[in-house]
Amino acid sequence: MKMSDGTRRTVEFLLDNLVWLMLIVVLAVFSVTIPGYFQFGIFANILEQSTFVGVMAIGLAIVIIAGHLDLSVESTAALSAMVTGLLFAKSGIGMGLTMSPEWLMLPASLLLAILVGAVIGVINGFFVVRLGMTAFIVTLATFIWARGLVVAISGGRSAQSLAPSIRVIGIERILGVPLLAWISVACFIIFAVLMAKTPFGRYVTLVGGNREATFRAGINSDRILWLSFILAGALAGVAGWLLAIRTSGATANLGTGMLFNAFAAVVIGGVSLKGGIGKLPGVYAGVLLLYSIHTAINLMGLPAHFTQVILGGLVLAAVLLDTLKLRLREKLL
Amino acid sequence: MSEEQPLLKLEGVTKNFGAIQALRGIDMHISRGEVVALLGDNGAGKSTLVKIISGGLQPSSGKMSFEGQERHFASPSEAKAAGIETVYQDLSLCTNADVVANFFMGREITRRVLGVPILQEREMEEVVAKAMADAGTRIPSLRTNVEHLSGGQRQAIELNRFVHWGGKLVLLDEPFAALGVEQTRRGLEMIRRVADRGIGVVVITHIMAQAFQVADRIVVIRQGTVAGDLKTSETNPDQVIDLITGATLSRAGKDRGGSN
Ligand SMILES: Nc1ncnc2c1ncn2[C@@H]1O[C@H](COP(=O)(O)OP(=O)(O)OP(=O)(O)O)[C@@H](O)[C@H]1O
Ligand SMILES: [Mg+2]
Repeated sequence: MKMSDGTRRTVEFLLDNLVWLMLIVVLAVFSVTIPGYFQFGIFANILEQSTFVGVMAIGLAIVIIAGHLDLSVESTAALSAMVTGLLFAKSGIGMGLTMSPEWLMLPASLLLAILVGAVIGVINGFFVVRLGMTAFIVTLATFIWARGLVVAISGGRSAQSLAPSIRVIGIERILGVPLLAWISVACFIIFAVLMAKTPFGRYVTLVGGNREATFRAGINSDRILWLSFILAGALAGVAGWLLAIRTSGATANLGTGMLFNAFAAVVIGGVSLKGGIGKLPGVYAGVLLLYSIHTAINLMGLPAHFTQVILGGLVLAAVLLDTLKLRLREKLL
Repeated sequence: MSEEQPLLKLEGVTKNFGAIQALRGIDMHISRGEVVALLGDNGAGKSTLVKIISGGLQPSSGKMSFEGQERHFASPSEAKAAGIETVYQDLSLCTNADVVANFFMGREITRRVLGVPILQEREMEEVVAKAMADAGTRIPSLRTNVEHLSGGQRQAIELNRFVHWGGKLVLLDEPFAALGVEQTRRGLEMIRRVADRGIGVVVITHIMAQAFQVADRIVVIRQGTVAGDLKTSETNPDQVIDLITGATLSRAGKDRGGSN
């Protein structure tokens, strides 16, 4: 089929940004059909809810684009949240650590959470990159032991009442939108630029596409993979920290199920599990789509279990769409 | 040629893959500005030799000197840093990325913004467009992913890549296998032009006519040894074919390993 350059480019653009298109359509349909959906507060809430899975999904997407997998992000987030809660919460098992000046607790707790995540990333990297083990197995093991560690250090109990100087993050609003939402938007912008505009991001994609070729081209692919795992861990750490702030503490089962949501968002967002394909803005759209649907289900008063059913269907649809997209591209372009 | 110090010199290079002896002691040299055609049957060890020179494989034994110094390349990036460019037999492109990204793989043009290196896409695209135009390669869009390109177009990208980056020594492993008639002609011309810049060129090919057209010297590999090393002007295709198949009585040049 022959097409003009303009049409061709339009079709290409639409195919590349299909998930954004889907998001807009879904939001429009919900706004029209569900009473009370079309409100600023609802949209702000969707943004806020997307934060935790969103930040986690960034790291997950990077590792997947690099051609690997990280199943451990959920437990990593839980561990970071628990460490934050344990040290900086006052009640429950919280030790109520204080610092002076008080605001110091904010960066200190964030750094600690990032560090916890990065260390787990290093451990994953060691087994996968250095020893050449399969990422699926390695990170599945980490998923299990890191959660085990959370239960062990908390004794199954919880930490409550996080220090107010940390909690401000979860309370403040800018232009009426929760600060948490801004944080996830900022994370997506920073990492989208990193992935699209810097050599590192370029190399992540190239390594995920053909590692042998990057090796021959003199790119240190091992370093790129190490960094990907460490970034995934660190971002999961940030997600856990934000989660602890949101819940003002941490429980032993905090964040369970997040992995599934993050995976769903990444796949819906157009990242291919084959590696080498995917862009972060799409992932953000995937997360927003997920929580738009969540919110719709809540508003309609459907039982929460329906979310799971719909989510599962959505993931299938996303993969199907991806295949369809490839076919369409072959036919049209 | 031999009074000048060669650009690259191999002495007794061997390579074993487990029990398989792919190379059994290769001695050869390449001078600056010289085109050497490497000939030999399938499985003779040509690609293995190229990978050893380019740092992708480590020799089991033997010595390699580059520009008069004994060198040992632990990785392709070290060989590349020394000025050795390689076009591999199985293409080394990332098909999930576009032409520009592949052309610049590992050598992107960046500019620092607030200390962060930012890819200069437009600048890179201009360079690639020029390189492609110079070589007469037609690719619909430099922003299409390589997976949508034909085999010949892919090979052209690799070829143009090496012409652009140059270096001191270029290794080409069957670079024309997927090219059309016109592209091959241009490719051969390109090799000559590159050599005229003082760059040493090793080109592997199975097509006798190409070897005689472009090479100053022909080195024949048979079963992991150098079966013949001849000036193109002093030999003919029949003699070379004899050397390749081992059916010869009239051995010429440095013959070490033919004695089975
Ligand atoms: N990685 C490897 N492991 C085991 N054996 C190998 C490996 N690479 C090459 N060989 C063997 O070494 C020998 C030489 O192979 P090589 O690829 O160098 O041949 P070639 O001369 O390039 O052949 P062709 O003309 O078919 O490209 C062959 O017998 C091959 O099977
Ligand atoms: Mg070969």
